[in-house]
Amino acid sequence: MISILSAKFRLFLRNPWMVIIMSIVCIVMASVIGASSEKRIKVPVVSTLASHETNELLQSLNKSPSFRFELMEKSKMRTLVEEGKVEAGVELSNHDFTLIITSQTGNTFFLRQYVQKVYSEKEQANAIATQAHIPVEKAINIVNEAKEHPAFTVKTMNFRGKHAVTIDSQLQPIFGFSLFFVIYTVAFQVLQLLKEKREGVWNRMILSRLKKWEIYTGNLLYSFMIGYLQIVLIFSVFRFGLGIRFHGQFAELLVLLVPYVFSLVAFSMLLVGLVKNEQQFQALISLLAVSMAMIGGAYWPLEIVSSNVLLALSKIVPLTYGMELLKGAAVYGRSITELLYPMSILFFMGVVFMGIGINLVERKNG
Amino acid sequence: MLEAVELTKQFKQMKAVNRVNLYLEQGEIVGLLGPNGAGKSTTISMLSTLIPPSSGDVRFHQKSILKNPAMLRNVLGIVPQEIALYSDLSAKENLWFFGRIHRLSGVQLQKKVEEILELIGLTDRQNDLVKHFSGGMKRRLNIGAALLHEPKLLIMDEPTVGIDPQSRNYILETVKRLNEEKQMTVLYTSHYMEEVEFLCNRIYIMDKGCIIASGTTAEIKNILSAEHTVEIKVEKLNESFLHALRTQPVVRHIAIQDRVITMLSPKEVNVFRLLFQLAEQTDTVLTSIEMKTPTLEDVFLHLTGRALRD
Repeated sequence: MISILSAKFRLFLRNPWMVIIMSIVCIVMASVIGASSEKRIKVPVVSTLASHETNELLQSLNKSPSFRFELMEKSKMRTLVEEGKVEAGVELSNHDFTLIITSQTGNTFFLRQYVQKVYSEKEQANAIATQAHIPVEKAINIVNEAKEHPAFTVKTMNFRGKHAVTIDSQLQPIFGFSLFFVIYTVAFQVLQLLKEKREGVWNRMILSRLKKWEIYTGNLLYSFMIGYLQIVLIFSVFRFGLGIRFHGQFAELLVLLVPYVFSLVAFSMLLVGLVKNEQQFQALISLLAVSMAMIGGAYWPLEIVSSNVLLALSKIVPLTYGMELLKGAAVYGRSITELLYPMSILFFMGVVFMGIGINLVERKNG
Repeated sequence: MLEAVELTKQFKQMKAVNRVNLYLEQGEIVGLLGPNGAGKSTTISMLSTLIPPSSGDVRFHQKSILKNPAMLRNVLGIVPQEIALYSDLSAKENLWFFGRIHRLSGVQLQKKVEEILELIGLTDRQNDLVKHFSGGMKRRLNIGAALLHEPKLLIMDEPTVGIDPQSRNYILETVKRLNEEKQMTVLYTSHYMEEVEFLCNRIYIMDKGCIIASGTTAEIKNILSAEHTVEIKVEKLNESFLHALRTQPVVRHIAIQDRVITMLSPKEVNVFRLLFQLAEQTDTVLTSIEMKTPTLEDVFLHLTGRALRD
């Protein structure tokens, strides 16, 4: 089995481009679609402060999940507000700010509160720095550290109904496209099995000292590893390259990918058992991958689908459960124990697909 | 050593192999000869335990291997018709892989790989990727991959298809050497008569799934001891000349290739006079007429009415 794995990885290193290109396309598409579904409210900003102070303040302001502050010329800001293209503008000065609005709305109320909060924190840090004769940056660090280890914490909980829906427009395309593209990667690795059969390498292995289970395990484990590595790579680019925090569930997500990738390997094995040649496999996987992505909620969240037929179909697609696992952990904050149901469905699918697939392949050999 | 008893393989409605009986003794080279689609590959797939027969038995040292194929597999080397190699690996890496799946490792594997590279003449190209090899080099490596575990029995399925004469000779010489030096038993399938004549001690001729003749080369050629092979070259093929030939009771089994007509006729008949007569009647210009001792090709023609490469 080790000999198969080592040969396969050597072959992969000789020609890794398919996996790399798939990963790049996935990252680009998820980024573009994630960025285009930006939900933060744009707030134009003008400043009378020095540029470094303005930048520091903007950095603090832009930590908001609801508002996106954008520096511009005063005249441009006024035009935007006057024409009603934005609800409000902010004029930053040293110890205070001015909100420029045409009418009072709910958003302007929250905006005022938020900017006020950022200014208070800045003033607090300045006061500590002056009192303790330390630089402002050090004072900010002390405040942040104190916040991370508070004397006591207040935990807030709320009731959420069974049908309560949260859609994270940034994570949805990342999860969706990753799970979609990996179908191709895994399928094309498993497809090598058909190629090896056609070329006679498979027969050489059958006639060798290897046990049949070793041949299957070597081939399928390799396909699993390549598929899994691809998603880890994509998630890592988003986590460490683009700063997407996955709501602090990065490690859990990597664990939750295991049953999904396993079910894909098994699904591909089933297809190998069903088709007669590589061309048929390629045609079938292209069709099925896109269908699974649509039905399973990779392109759009299943939460917005109302058709009972589509929802019923989604129950037989591994991608549905893959999305359920990832969103369950990252968006809904569910623990691994709470996600045992979709995990076990994926394992069950995997075992059934694999069993039928291997059986069909063996029958063909006879 | 290896024996096929009433071996039959049926694919749906088609009987690819029909009640084939053959045997191989230790240390001999046996040829399995037949045209494309004769059932040679299916027969060797069954003999090598890759596919189970529909009926019949395969025995290795008198024991059936249908239930326990490992007994044969451990001493069997197979050279498939396809190039069963990883084209994105080098020659050396391929041999390492095929050695490791036969549980060779360390110094033993390294030595064996070097020895095989030497044997197949690819030592200086060992680090090149197989996809950059010529057809002949790929075929040689295809053979090398079957020899790593020192098999006692080597089954070769048309190992010289589509290669240049130089590589072909190299392969034939290598097979002969393996047989002579290592007493390796070889089952060699081919549709090239001259290869089988050169290599094999005994021959089985197959057509349409059945063995139609068997024996040593001399014994098989004896089938035609009462006949001549006549090769007629004409300036231009003429349908009426061919028709006239076909209607002659003394002319048997006509095969045509380009402007060459090959036919069989009894030794006691003087065909020259007949041929000149027919040529004159049908306005055909004869370039040459040659009487030949029968070859295996002629035997095949005699037995089936078709040329081997039809």
